Amino acid sequence: MNNKEMVEIWGDIVELKALVLAIIISSTTTMGSYFFAPKGHQTKELFFGLGGAVLGFIISTILIKPKRDINIEK
Amino acid sequence: MDILLILQMILAALLAVLIYTFIGFIPGTDETSVLMPITLAIVLSGAQPIIILTFFIVAIVTLNLTNAIPTALVGLPGGVMSSPMMEHSLYLKDKGMSAVVIKKMAVGSLIGTIISVPMALILANIIAPYGESVQKFAPLLFFLGAVFLSLISNNKILSLLSILPMAILFMGLRYLYWSTGIIPKDQNITVSFFLGITIGPLIVSLFSLLNKDKRKDMLRRERKRITIPKEGAAGEELNPFKILNRSEIKKASISAFISNFLFVLSPVGLTILIGEAMGNRIEDPVEKSMTTIVCMSALTQSTYLSGIIIPLIALGVPLSPTAIGPGSALFNAPPVFTVERNLHHILNRWEFNFAIILGAGIGASINYIITNKYASKISNFVLNKIPHEAILGLFISFILLLAYMDAGLINIFGVLLIGITCGTLNRLGVNYGVQFMTLYAAPWIIEKIILL
Repeated sequence: MNNKEMVEIWGDIVELKALVLAIIISSTTTMGSYFFAPKGHQTKELFFGLGGAVLGFIISTILIKPKRDINIEK
Repeated sequence: MDILLILQMILAALLAVLIYTFIGFIPGTDETSVLMPITLAIVLSGAQPIIILTFFIVAIVTLNLTNAIPTALVGLPGGVMSSPMMEHSLYLKDKGMSAVVIKKMAVGSLIGTIISVPMALILANIIAPYGESVQKFAPLLFFLGAVFLSLISNNKILSLLSILPMAILFMGLRYLYWSTGIIPKDQNITVSFFLGITIGPLIVSLFSLLNKDKRKDMLRRERKRITIPKEGAAGEELNPFKILNRSEIKKASISAFISNFLFVLSPVGLTILIGEAMGNRIEDPVEKSMTTIVCMSALTQSTYLSGIIIPLIALGVPLSPTAIGPGSALFNAPPVFTVERNLHHILNRWEFNFAIILGAGIGASINYIITNKYASKISNFVLNKIPHEAILGLFISFILLLAYMDAGLINIFGVLLIGITCGTLNRLGVNYGVQFMTLYAAPWIIEKIILL
């Protein structure tokens, strides 16, 4: 797999390596915080999981740059 | 009802505006897949029913308007409901009229909301007396619903043929989980199967990337080029009667009015049908496109609002494309809601009216101002800062979490199987509505048809 391979998914351009990275980060933070939640308490488990998902989203957003060229008309 | 509860409802409304303003600006995000999981999370979190309803109403009002904006601003549809506007939006964008278009969209969507909330509430009250008898036949109606949605879709035979196999897939997995003791026999898996269907097309795309030849077809050399028009070109006017002309107001109102009666039909289908019909007779191409866009903005709101309000209040079963797709968590999200006990049964008439009117009011007014003042700024921020990769990662981790919570590790692969199968069918042309109806009808189909 080439380093800079870009593909179009769901109406926008993503870079393969960055996509794999984002999926790994989000899955790890989500499932990681889920297993941290107190066992047998479904609402708390869900909240921990969702918190992890948001955390993963923020980390990916910081690490990955969007593949869009923005022009502002004059 | 106390002040604290009303405050919480307002907070839920603001949260929905915040979340869906950003999501709406992201190009290409499908309504069902962004509305369903987040609503579901709120339902499962144990929030009060009336708060859930407020959140959902604000969410759809916000999303339908913000989805339309990237269409006018940068030429990418924000979601499925805004794709019918593409052609007209691009035409007007080329003429340098994006800023005016956005203002008109905002007013159109305001008209759609104002007309369809009271209309849907009235219709719901008229239909309500028949609701109980409808509920008794719910399983049969879901099956007939799947057949009906197949027959009005573009791929009738394909959709019809896919109903039984999908029912077998869903029930097959459930029986497997029951027989291996992974879940108790009286427990049904629904939530993660729903998500599997929703996220299906995305899973198929991701799997295609693993095939070398398929990947070659999806490769793109260039980054996405996006031009954002300069701000302020359309002036500071906020008075809706000055932004739209008389004929536009009249046509948008009529569109919204008609669509309320057709709440069982597909929202995107109605938007195309009625929207195009309204612009059809106009000769001047600019005026024609403007009118069509205004009517379509009104229609996206009215079809969604009537599609959720009428089934919720009158029927208690999700018998419309909006209710069965984006709104499904309000009807069935075990253990909180089930088909026998959901918002319809828990909230009284007064609470329904209050939550819907409050939600639509807050949603419509905040959105109207945000859109008119900050459309370019938000679009610029989202497109510059939020990578598409992070969004895809977020959705995939949602699926992992909810699949695991429903039935453990095996269900991650079960949901994957559903995603691949339903996503492929979706690609072939079987729409979400048919698939969701089949999921609801699956136990009945197996018992009454296949095992007959």
